[in-house]
Amino acid sequence: MAEKTIYQHLKEEGVSRREFMKFCGLLAGLMGVEFSPPVKALGAVAGPSPEKMVADALKSKPRVPIIWLELQDCAGCTEAISRSWSPSLVKLVLNKIALDYQETLMAAAGFQAEEAKKEAMEKYKGKYVLVVEGSPAIGEDQVFCTIGGRGNIDLLNEAAEGAAAIIATGNCAAFGGIPKANPNPTNARGVWEVITSKPVLNIPGCPAIPEVTTGTIVYFLVMGKLPEMDSLNRPMTFYGHTIHDHCLRRPFYDAGKYADSFDDDGARAGHCLYKLGCKGPTTYNACSSLKWYQGLSFPVQSNHPCLACSQPNFWDGGGFYQGQSAPLNRPDLAAFGIAAGAGAAVGVALAGANSINKKRAEHESKKEK
Amino acid sequence: MAWDELLRFLRGPMFYAALVFFLFGMFFRLFRVVLLGWQRDRVPSKGSKIGGVVITYLKSILILPFIPWVKLTFNKNALTYVAGGVFHLSLFGIIFFGAPHMLVWKSILGFGWPTLPAPYVDWLAAIGIISLVALLINRLVHPVLKKITRTADWFNWTIVFLPFITGYVMSRHLWFEYQAAFSLHMIAVDLLLIWIPLSRISHFMLYFFSRTIHGAQFGKRAVTP
Repeated sequence: MAEKTIYQHLKEEGVSRREFMKFCGLLAGLMGVEFSPPVKALGAVAGPSPEKMVADALKSKPRVPIIWLELQDCAGCTEAISRSWSPSLVKLVLNKIALDYQETLMAAAGFQAEEAKKEAMEKYKGKYVLVVEGSPAIGEDQVFCTIGGRGNIDLLNEAAEGAAAIIATGNCAAFGGIPKANPNPTNARGVWEVITSKPVLNIPGCPAIPEVTTGTIVYFLVMGKLPEMDSLNRPMTFYGHTIHDHCLRRPFYDAGKYADSFDDDGARAGHCLYKLGCKGPTTYNACSSLKWYQGLSFPVQSNHPCLACSQPNFWDGGGFYQGQSAPLNRPDLAAFGIAAGAGAAVGVALAGANSINKKRAEHESKKEK
Repeated sequence: MAWDELLRFLRGPMFYAALVFFLFGMFFRLFRVVLLGWQRDRVPSKGSKIGGVVITYLKSILILPFIPWVKLTFNKNALTYVAGGVFHLSLFGIIFFGAPHMLVWKSILGFGWPTLPAPYVDWLAAIGIISLVALLINRLVHPVLKKITRTADWFNWTIVFLPFITGYVMSRHLWFEYQAAFSLHMIAVDLLLIWIPLSRISHFMLYFFSRTIHGAQFGKRAVTP
């Protein structure tokens, strides 16, 4: 029997055709698939519509399993996904389409779970998508993170070997995240620093936006390739703009109206949070456009500055509530004192030497007279 | 990755090092100048030296900036006076009342103050940039200035101009991505901090000493040796 397509699989799960088409439209929107502007401008729609394209792909492509590894993490990205605003989408993608191994969500445990993973990895070798959540810890012979008695790097390498695509979700997996924060006792790294033989797509965030994770997975399912990426291997569709670019408080920034504290009139009036440490201008993520919980809100809208959680080393990037323009390390008085004292001492010494020279010269000129 | 890491370096260790060097250099300059030697008054002064100092400061704060023709510079070369004055005003406005700059002061001093709305600061920067360009052209065409300009003067102009233009590009979000513009601005600022003690830009501090000495001299009423 031929392998079941994604659509057949969904149909068996009780998804109606109407629901399926809605789902395809949503996915097309999420993935940023649309008609090129000239086609739209002409009004002449050539070829299939975006949702039909997605639908055709899902009807013809076989089910692709996902193996979801958790390394040094808080399971926050999983939590975010399980509480996503579009339960239909996430449920469809993760529960019904694909998710074969996910330690936090799966019912199986212990040897049973490991067995399921092994089976999936063998059966779908070269076809499955590996999603990694949490940072690999390479320090002290991998002792800081072991699963089923095996070191995390070994597990990661083993899973990566047969993967068709590797997606690192959350800042920990993408860039090392909180485990990598100074002094980084476990020697944590981003997945792409450990696996260099294959491209690793990064979906940083703390947690990653669930729609971005699922949208990217579906992009791979539909297109059969990873989406266009930026220099940090993040999908351009979601990480092409900064929080600042699409921020709802941007007009206040442009007008120079800031909140000076969390409970002043500026804060109540929704003014810009730049002075309270917002890192929006240097943070690339989709929070300000896609938002969270059915487009309800995102941190800046909820009166909290952006922490730059989708950027590398965000935990060590200066105080969260310190303005972005401020220097990273607060200069201490001792260093200033030493610098000033040393400058003064050298100045005094030179002046002393000058004065001795001057006196000697005066003395000699008197002698000559 | 590159811009992010560069920016972290420029905002962190590099800024710190530049600041420490700046302090070292300025204290060195200060002590060198103060200890150059003081002349004793060989004849008792009938006037008040302190009075002279007060008058010279009042004159330089209240009269010279607002009544141009009192100053010889204005009568001889109005452009130097106007562009120079406007440039300094714009500089003070930006570094003390621009919100991002106030946050730098706050992180160093531990306290902050109210700031100007961003559009005003942008206009100040634009005015500063225009006046700097005017001063450059003046220096290029003025027959006397051309003769007395040395390499260090071109360098001074460039090093002062760079923070202005990079800051403007950054705050207006022009051409570069934000981290790149921010990094360029920080390179310019770190360079400026290092260059100040080595150059005549140190007049921002030494000016007050020369003004004081001049004032004291003017206040004297005696036969000077």
